[in-house]
Amino acid sequence: MSSNNAQIRDWVLFPITLVMILVGILRHYIVLLLQSPPKTLPREALREQRALTRSQVLRSSAANSPIPPTYYKAISRHLSEAYEAGTYLKDGPPKEGDAPKPPPNPISDPAAMDGMMAGMKTQMVMMVPQMVIMGWINFFFQGFVLIKLPFPLTLGFKSMLQRGIETPDMDVRWVSSLSWYFLNFFGLNGLYRLILGGDNSADSSRDMTASPFAAPQAPGQAQDYNKLFKAEKDNLQFSEGVYSWVGEGVEDRVLGRYGKI
Amino acid sequence: MSLSSALARLATFRTNNTRASQETFKNASIILKSAKQLGDDGWAVLEQLFLASVDIGRLDVADQCLKQLGERFPDSPRVNVLTGIRMEATESPDVVLQYYGQLLDADPANAAIWKRKISVLRRTGKIEKAVEELSQLVDTFYTDVEGWLELADIYTTCNQYIPALQALSHVLLLAPQNPFYVLQFAETAYTSGDLPLALKTFLVVVDMVERDLDSPEKKPAAGISVRAWLGVKLCSRRLMINSSPSASNTPIPKSLNLIEELATERVLGAYSSKGTAGRGGKIAQGKEVVVGWVGDR
Repeated sequence: MSSNNAQIRDWVLFPITLVMILVGILRHYIVLLLQSPPKTLPREALREQRALTRSQVLRSSAANSPIPPTYYKAISRHLSEAYEAGTYLKDGPPKEGDAPKPPPNPISDPAAMDGMMAGMKTQMVMMVPQMVIMGWINFFFQGFVLIKLPFPLTLGFKSMLQRGIETPDMDVRWVSSLSWYFLNFFGLNGLYRLILGGDNSADSSRDMTASPFAAPQAPGQAQDYNKLFKAEKDNLQFSEGVYSWVGEGVEDRVLGRYGKI
Repeated sequence: MSLSSALARLATFRTNNTRASQETFKNASIILKSAKQLGDDGWAVLEQLFLASVDIGRLDVADQCLKQLGERFPDSPRVNVLTGIRMEATESPDVVLQYYGQLLDADPANAAIWKRKISVLRRTGKIEKAVEELSQLVDTFYTDVEGWLELADIYTTCNQYIPALQALSHVLLLAPQNPFYVLQFAETAYTSGDLPLALKTFLVVVDMVERDLDSPEKKPAAGISVRAWLGVKLCSRRLMINSSPSASNTPIPKSLNLIEELATERVLGAYSSKGTAGRGGKIAQGKEVVVGWVGDR
């Protein structure tokens, strides 16, 4: 029995763990290889993307604004006009009677396609080896009991720790091979962080939550900046209502602090 | 000096953006040879050493750094900036501008290169072109405080105070927590002749700096607030003599007399013996001048 145990440990438990660690590290480097360099945006696109921050910056301090009324009003009015006229739009102001452009189809748009492919590629790098490992474990080690936990557990952990073994009577402390795989799957991130540093892409459990299509800018749903700008115009008007200069009555505040009034 | 302490020192220089080129150079020279063993931190040190050695004119060391960086990171935009800086040191401005122009053609949104180009333009006296480019830059990268400050600086040197104030007002919006920018705004407003606005803004600086003091009247003004109080004094005195119109329609505060008195008190307090304690004789030297100026009204 004991030699059997040792053999299971040496030929099943350790290989599974080792293979999973190595696959994680391999995955990290493959992802590094696959990463396409960040796309550079043309100036106009950047400007369009960042145009909204202008009014957000202005509005965020409007109730206690550091700049005097004339300057505030000038900036506010200028922004309103620019938003209205579409000065910040990438393709210039929209022409009179132009029908609003339909959102570009993500499949036909090469730029959006790139972003989608990047997500797909990482996803593939993660999915394929995990599927292979799981098949390998299922095929060769199905029903193997690998370790015995050193502490007792309630019956509720049975489905977690004894996946793949249909014996209702076995002590919950025994862990099956498939369950060991899942424990590793979710628990190896700490080890990867030690080996590869904090910003690694070896952990596959993280990708489970991320959809391959949720690339940074959510391609397929191109922002309609024109609409956003129009909405921002109203916000600007609201802020103009609550605007007050920080210099308003500052002399009284300073004098008050010195007890002069 | 040991390797680790030199590294730590350089790291603080990096985070604080300290120029200290001579010291950086001394510290980093030890590290230059072992850059490859340092891992990723070593490259940052190399960049730092490069800038420091260009700054102090040791171009041979700079070339070494640049070579190592270029081998490790070919086509890196950051190394391109360094190459440009190295070229600025010896090549003619036209060559450098051409180099920057090429890089900008490849990637028009490369802010670092764009800024270098503007600085070269300004340095060679093409102010008009520099202002044009800089305006475009801050139009694209609105949140670039440095860019706005530079624009304000260029305008100020050309005596264009109203545009300078406009640029500074964007700086204030972007960094409302920094009293030094407010002070710059106030001084620019003063120079432009908008005394009421300058007075108010000087008072805002005072308000910002002394906000957290429990009883400011007991301690003499120090640091930036001395300058702000001097500004308050200057503005209020001139406003009392004749109330000049304000370009920004800022009303003159009603309690002008009280403010003038308080400012006099604070300025004299800052230059009294109590105020100069522990700061050597530098301020005491100016004391007579200040007292004479304050009393002369």
